[in-house]
Amino acid sequence: MMFTAMASHRQCSICGHASDEFIIVANSYRYSHRLTESPLYFGIVDFDEGSDIFQLLRINTAPVFMHFPAKGKPKPLDTMDIQRVGFASEMIAKWIQERTDVQIRIFRPPNYSSTLALTILFAICSSFLYIRRNNMEMFFNKNLWGVFSVLFCLNMISGQMWNHIRGPPLMHRNQQGIITYIHNSSQGQFIIETYIIIVLNTMLVSGAVILIDSYTKKTDSKSRKILTVGGLALVVFLFSVILSIFKSKAHGYPYSFLIK
Amino acid sequence: MKTLLTNPAGWKSLITFAILFLAWVSGFSARLFAVIRFESIIHEFDPWFNYRATAYMVEHGFYNFLNWFDERAWYPLGRIVGGTVYPGLMVTSGAIHHILHALNIPVHIRDICVFLAPIFSGMTAISTYFLTKELWSPGAGLFACCFIAIVPGYISRSVAGSYDNEGIAIFALQFTYYLWVKSVKTGSVFWSVLTALSYFYMVSAWGGYVFIINLIPLHVFLLLIMGRYSYRLFTSYTVFYILGLVLSMQIPFVGFQPIRTSEHMAASGVFALVMAAGTFNYIQTRITKAEFKFIFIFATLVTSGIVLLAVVGLTWAGLIAPWSGRFYSLWDTTYAKIHIPIIASVSEHQPTTWFSFFFDLHILVCIFPAGLWYCIQEYNDERLFVVLYALSAVYFAGVMVRLMLTLTPAVCILSGIAFSKIFESYLKEDGPITSNGTKTVEEKQPTIKTPSKSSQSSSSGSGKSKKKPPTIASLNSDNSNGEGVGSNIRSIVTISMLLVLMMFVVHCTWVTSNAYSSPSIVLASFSNDGSRQILDDFREAYYWLSQNTDNDARVMSWWDYGYQIAGMANRTTLVDNNTWNNSHIALVGKAMSSTEPKAYEIMTSLDVDYVLVIFGGVIGYSGDDINKFLWMVRIAEGEHPKDIRESDYFTERGEFRIDSQGSPTMLNCLMYKLSYYRFGDLKLDFRTPAGFDRTRNAVIGNQNFDLTYLEEAYTTEHWLVRIYRVKKPDEFNRPRIPVLERKIRNPGASTISKKYARKKRGIIQGKPIVVKGKKPKSTNTYTNGI
Repeated sequence: MMFTAMASHRQCSICGHASDEFIIVANSYRYSHRLTESPLYFGIVDFDEGSDIFQLLRINTAPVFMHFPAKGKPKPLDTMDIQRVGFASEMIAKWIQERTDVQIRIFRPPNYSSTLALTILFAICSSFLYIRRNNMEMFFNKNLWGVFSVLFCLNMISGQMWNHIRGPPLMHRNQQGIITYIHNSSQGQFIIETYIIIVLNTMLVSGAVILIDSYTKKTDSKSRKILTVGGLALVVFLFSVILSIFKSKAHGYPYSFLIK
Repeated sequence: MKTLLTNPAGWKSLITFAILFLAWVSGFSARLFAVIRFESIIHEFDPWFNYRATAYMVEHGFYNFLNWFDERAWYPLGRIVGGTVYPGLMVTSGAIHHILHALNIPVHIRDICVFLAPIFSGMTAISTYFLTKELWSPGAGLFACCFIAIVPGYISRSVAGSYDNEGIAIFALQFTYYLWVKSVKTGSVFWSVLTALSYFYMVSAWGGYVFIINLIPLHVFLLLIMGRYSYRLFTSYTVFYILGLVLSMQIPFVGFQPIRTSEHMAASGVFALVMAAGTFNYIQTRITKAEFKFIFIFATLVTSGIVLLAVVGLTWAGLIAPWSGRFYSLWDTTYAKIHIPIIASVSEHQPTTWFSFFFDLHILVCIFPAGLWYCIQEYNDERLFVVLYALSAVYFAGVMVRLMLTLTPAVCILSGIAFSKIFESYLKEDGPITSNGTKTVEEKQPTIKTPSKSSQSSSSGSGKSKKKPPTIASLNSDNSNGEGVGSNIRSIVTISMLLVLMMFVVHCTWVTSNAYSSPSIVLASFSNDGSRQILDDFREAYYWLSQNTDNDARVMSWWDYGYQIAGMANRTTLVDNNTWNNSHIALVGKAMSSTEPKAYEIMTSLDVDYVLVIFGGVIGYSGDDINKFLWMVRIAEGEHPKDIRESDYFTERGEFRIDSQGSPTMLNCLMYKLSYYRFGDLKLDFRTPAGFDRTRNAVIGNQNFDLTYLEEAYTTEHWLVRIYRVKKPDEFNRPRIPVLERKIRNPGASTISKKYARKKRGIIQGKPIVVKGKKPKSTNTYTNGI
């Protein structure tokens, strides 16, 4: 049984997602089991329609997933802990299995959006190629490839893959309401933090490139001097900024450069 | 003599040699922290197995080693060691041992094992120098060499005592790449044969050879796409592929994998492509353009269709194995988390934060994209290789912390290129002398020497300060600033870059000393007055096991400690760090996480004699079994979902607790009881109550309990390792009755009929004499003959 508040004026955005997942579980159950052998019924109670049931069960929040056994009263464990396990349909199915020993294989309706996006992207690329078919020089453009690969490296070294796998919060707000952008332990990171790092790293790399190019490229003496000093300043200053962020995360790290 | 001294080429090679030598020495000495602080000892877990295997090989010979069936591991299954290890490491140290003994230098095999990784790190540095020299310039090579000698990302796997495959594999990796680049450059069969041989060594040493056998074909493929096909490429790749394939199949552990698994398919596909490209190139010289176009399109379509069908068909028929879980988790990054808890449970298989990138590579990670940029700007065949190397390695390092190791050499090469470009420009004098190439090289040397020199003796900066002034002086001396940026700016650039490099050296030394130099079987703690205390509990416990238990006693522990028990205590283990059998591990996990009677059933079915748990609650050691416990539950749940449920071990609020709030399942499981047996009586200090767990900062919930099926056999000084003996069935279900209360039935009592008594007498006479059992030699050896 799912208790929810779907009405738009309740402004419960999480209820919508939860109800989608819940319906997926219910549909999977309907497709894979015949109703006779293990009767399991899925129901939805909306707050605006059945607020008396909410009061009866003393439920103050939504959505809540509860299991009502065939005999007896629901125990505390019959309420699914969505704070801890979330409400993905796999988790709901696992929880149902724990409570009732009914195994439900989740049949997600295939997600067409990514396929569609890929197809559109592919179509755009191929049409672009077709239009420019007489002019393929952009593929031999070293700058383009260089920028792509450097950006890829920067993405990786700033820990975007970690974000992708772990899904950390954007930033952290503590009890006093102070927002921290930098995770204070070396084990974690916030999304904002990685963006800061990627910007700093990008500028540092471009500083290094300016520093080198300013000497080798043919320009007049004055602009060369400016570029050199600018590039050097970028490299040294940004490096010390990164080092100081690093130091704030690594407790007991003794060294710093220019900035504490 | 005079010509020798004035000859610039002679100076150049002398300085190069000196720098390489110093890099080797500094790299070697930076890895000795653990040996100096503790002793010459094998570290951690896997090295213990490698050491045990090496010792076996030295003792019994190579062929016996290949046929070795180890019945002391994975009881009762055993393990075919010869067929399931990469023997390169053992053979290398065995060969060194053999040579030294042939020269009458009696070195113990343990010392060779301890110092093997530092020695090979020096060879890695030198092969990196050669690789970078081929790619860019000798100056960049010297930078890269110095970087890789001391960079923490590589030191983390090659400190003295970490006797593991990676220590020699990175050398093999770099050397193979150097030979490959060389063979692409020259197109000679000689170099490609050497590449294949070096690849063979890599295959024998580490499972990471898959990286080579995918990267080199990728390189060839890229060159083909870019229309850079040449006979040099054809020769080097075909020779390398055929020889490398045949050689790699000689390793028993690899066997027929190179032609049967998907990881190796890219190489054979590219081989076919190179062949096709060669054919078309040949045909092109013979026929007209229109005909060629037709043949080309037709043949391409037909062959690609056939190849695709063949691969799909063979995979479907089961002849080609699909990707293994570990490799698959590299591509689908969320795969392992959902499906394979045993891969996800290893901390090395976690993704990498930016922090650990910076921690392991410091300035290099910030500057290496610049080197990559220049490699793409001024690309040629071999520079494209290093570009691919860096891009693939940076992806893998992002997915798994452990693969930071393969990224490190690429980063060292590229940042070596970047730094050498900076110094090349800004150390050069502006005058007409600049046309003289040797002059710039000569000037560059002192700056390169500073990092390696100062790491060698980080405390004494005398060598550094002596070296620097001449550089600056020589810069200031010339005042010609026609087109340049002026000597002031140039010296500012030089000095600030040197300062940054100095920060790098200091950082490397600090990280090595603080993070990567603990042997983890000997722990050190520092008291308030700074004095150091050595906690040697692990070895104490293993020594106890080896002295006080039967030779064939079976010890159950979590798999982390399997290799150490086998290596140090020489006792049979149920599971170990070679996690090949998931269901066996799950069974041990199930025993640990169920209640005592249920665990006893599992333990008797597995013939367990002793149970070993690691408990850090007394000294606050965080890597103990209670903290790993949830992984045991998860792995057990994966195989036995009916009996073990992870949610039972959490409180109702979803917390994992061991105090009185904890869930009853948690407070009564075997692991809890074994960890906290008699702990409730222990008062650590005056401020905390009895039974206070320092690791989890809580008073334990279930304090006074007795063990029915096990008895405590040994607990080490700081309670770090606790060993329990599993009782035999007759020991616990026959309670001891005091002599006075014993009722001895009179044989001549009237209740027994005459007939029955006679029958009984007859049986006793027929029976062999029952000896009540020899007196046990030690208190814990169980030799009762029932």
